[in-house]
Amino acid sequence: MRALGFAWRSLVRQPARAILGVLGVAAVGALLFDMLLLSQGLLVSMRDLLDRSGWDIRVSAGELPGRGGRVPAATRTAERIITLPSVKSVLIVRLANARIESPSGSPIAATFEGVRGYARPGDRISHPWTVTRGRDAGGASETVIDSAIAKAANLQIGSLITLRASCIGDREALPPAQLRVVGIAEFPFRGTDEDAMAGSLDALKAACGGNVGDEADLLLVTSVSEATATAAAIRDAVPDLYAMTNDEVVGRLQQTGFSYFRQISAVLTTVTITFAVLLITVLLTVSVNQRLGEIAALRALGFSRSRVVADVLSESALIVGSGGLLSLPLGMLLASGLDRILKGMPGIPAELHFFVFEPTALAVHIGLLVATAILAALYPMRIVSSLPIAATLRDEVIG
Amino acid sequence: MSEIIVDAKGVSRTFAMAAGPVHAVRDVTLQIRAGDHVAVRGPSGCGKSTLLHMLGCVDAPSSGTLLFDGHDVSTLSDSKRSALRLKRIGFIFQRFFLLPMLTAAENVELPLSEAGASRKDRQARTKELLDYVGLAARADHRPSQLSGGEMQRVAIARALANSPQLLLADEPTGELDEATGAQIAALLDRVNADGTALVIVTHDQALAGRARRVLTMRDGRIEREAAR
Amino acid sequence: MPAVASAEAGSILISRQLAAERGLVVGSIVQLATDAAGARAREFRVAGIYEPTPDPARLGAVPREVRMHLPDLLEFTRSPDLPTGSEYISDINVALVDPADAVAFSRDVNARMPGVIARPSSEAAGSAGPFRVLERFHLAIAVVTIVAATVFLLALTIMLVDERRETVGILRLIGLPARRVLVQVLIEGVIVAGAGAVFGLVLAVLSESLINTFFQWRYDTALVFVRITRDVALTSAAIAVPLGASATVIASWALLRRSGLRLARR
Repeated sequence: MRALGFAWRSLVRQPARAILGVLGVAAVGALLFDMLLLSQGLLVSMRDLLDRSGWDIRVSAGELPGRGGRVPAATRTAERIITLPSVKSVLIVRLANARIESPSGSPIAATFEGVRGYARPGDRISHPWTVTRGRDAGGASETVIDSAIAKAANLQIGSLITLRASCIGDREALPPAQLRVVGIAEFPFRGTDEDAMAGSLDALKAACGGNVGDEADLLLVTSVSEATATAAAIRDAVPDLYAMTNDEVVGRLQQTGFSYFRQISAVLTTVTITFAVLLITVLLTVSVNQRLGEIAALRALGFSRSRVVADVLSESALIVGSGGLLSLPLGMLLASGLDRILKGMPGIPAELHFFVFEPTALAVHIGLLVATAILAALYPMRIVSSLPIAATLRDEVIG
Repeated sequence: MSEIIVDAKGVSRTFAMAAGPVHAVRDVTLQIRAGDHVAVRGPSGCGKSTLLHMLGCVDAPSSGTLLFDGHDVSTLSDSKRSALRLKRIGFIFQRFFLLPMLTAAENVELPLSEAGASRKDRQARTKELLDYVGLAARADHRPSQLSGGEMQRVAIARALANSPQLLLADEPTGELDEATGAQIAALLDRVNADGTALVIVTHDQALAGRARRVLTMRDGRIEREAAR
Repeated sequence: MPAVASAEAGSILISRQLAAERGLVVGSIVQLATDAAGARAREFRVAGIYEPTPDPARLGAVPREVRMHLPDLLEFTRSPDLPTGSEYISDINVALVDPADAVAFSRDVNARMPGVIARPSSEAAGSAGPFRVLERFHLAIAVVTIVAATVFLLALTIMLVDERRETVGILRLIGLPARRVLVQVLIEGVIVAGAGAVFGLVLAVLSESLINTFFQWRYDTALVFVRITRDVALTSAAIAVPLGASATVIASWALLRRSGLRLARR
């Protein structure tokens, strides 16, 4: 009987303890797997979100888009950028705070995205939202809204929406404006608790009372080919502004807000592995200590030292391997729950995920479990390898 | 004169204890030849089991020379000693030490498997041995389903798996009643008659009486040797 | 930055991080401007260097901060075409004689001054959404850890109780009722679990300082990341001790269901 078969029989001899050991490893392994998913999940998800938006460079007044004020002379800046040979299209984005009238009487707070695009002839301009019903907003009196606003304000395609928008950010007492809803859209960069609507820059300006200046919160740029070179060209063209590729945005986020999750992931991964190694070591050690007589007898019968050591290692491998397999579906289930909790953070885009499955995470998970199985077996392996056969046999008789 | 299997000259074994060294075996000179039937008797603590362990290459002497089949055991590596025990020596214990999660047949197969026998050979040899000890019908039973005598018979079958030259038994009837002990004694006689040298450590007068050589030990030394 | 002192230079405080980054000391003269082009730059004298209050919402960001007197700031940032007095501020911090009046005071201000939002500081801190979310996240992790630990604990106690199977069997054979054995086991379980809980807390306190030291170094902040409060310690003990004791009792109960003879037999 080979070592694995032997180990299997040893485990099933005590099914309760074996099952509990495997379940314990599964629970710990699930947590470990989730921490590995978390360590890069946010960055992978953000990168994916940015790439899917169709825009590969963000031009802003501050180091990070959304911080550091607005881009002045937005039209001139966009016109300057579109003339660069490596630029395919440019989109001016201006944001406003909107309060939408609803049948319940309480206004609905929403963000209004107003855009104006510049593209080379023949190139399309994509918007940072996806129309799911109806059509996209084009004219100065049209808008698309998200489904939450449509539901709360009882609006359909073709309805008129009444809102008061503030483009400057200060408290303003503006008259209500009306826009026609032409489509329902999804806004991937809006948080789950944020409502959003969008339309042309002219529609936004009209909603804000007209006099809002030529500023942009953000300029989105698509490159003809390589984003890094295009970003460098934009920086040369408009040195007062920050032009960051998607990778650079992600890199910057990694250094600031996202770094907490990498740190917590590293800390919890370390704690989890330590916990698992200690517990499995204790399980195996107690199991081995209860069978010292048998092991000494096997040694007396001619089982080599390496064979009895292999038996212990195989037992560890079986417990950790079985628990590890179980930890994957458990981990995915736990990850979806934890993801739901973390997505409750204000300002987190609806389509951003904290836990993202990546093959490298799985590979690291397997590697760590293998290391755990080996480390946990080291001490009990040492016990069996250095077992004094004669003394143990004698003690068994006396005991 | 039959060939010498074990040649012990002046072997001693001392254990270092906190209260001072314990000389378990002192200056024992002894030869075990092919086909021998030897019983070792003596009061508790006289060194019988320690001597048995040294003869079986489970323990090494503190001084003296111990040759097994002409090889100095003290110069052999652990893996070579293990190989020796696997193929040339069989052990039977007072506590049986059968693996509780394996059936009788699987327990017997263990040394065969470890020695690298093919599946077909293992199964054939296991059947042969279980027939030999009269337990063919209990092959699929676990130790918990066997009586003490049956467990010891399975242990004997296991010890004979690789056809050892020498079978060492440490109080084989220690946990058995008189009648069952007599059955085991008869089986051991048969094993010896079939060519395997036998050294038995025992308190059992009747079991010792069946041996052709009886060594009486006291205080770690062989006090007397009687031949029948 | 010019080292020439200007008689009209106002005084400012700068954050330690800014001072270190720019090699500034108390007495340094710096120029501040409100735009990147440096338009309308004014000179200020560094009157002091301060340690910024750690802000968890800005973890990871290097606090390059400047503080100046409000009149200086308003004058400095006012657009030239706007008249004096048209500036605005974003917040007013109010310290009350009796902090317990905060809620009533806030309500009063909100009622008397529409367009102004007043709220107690404790509410502002509590409504920090990200930290509530993180609290739930940490709680979820803690729950999973406790579940895993409980499973392992049960496995271990089954093994350890099994080691004493023969003793338990003999006790039952000589007439001790199962309940008596269970009480014995429960007492032992409470002692061991209690000792374990104390050990765990000591380990937690040691880890607390290690983790805080590491993250404070990593983020160059005075924020406290882990704090073992009395409530945390009591909650941990309240979970660990009953779990440990229960695991021992459950394992023993499973054993005691068998007959004494079976237990005592090897």
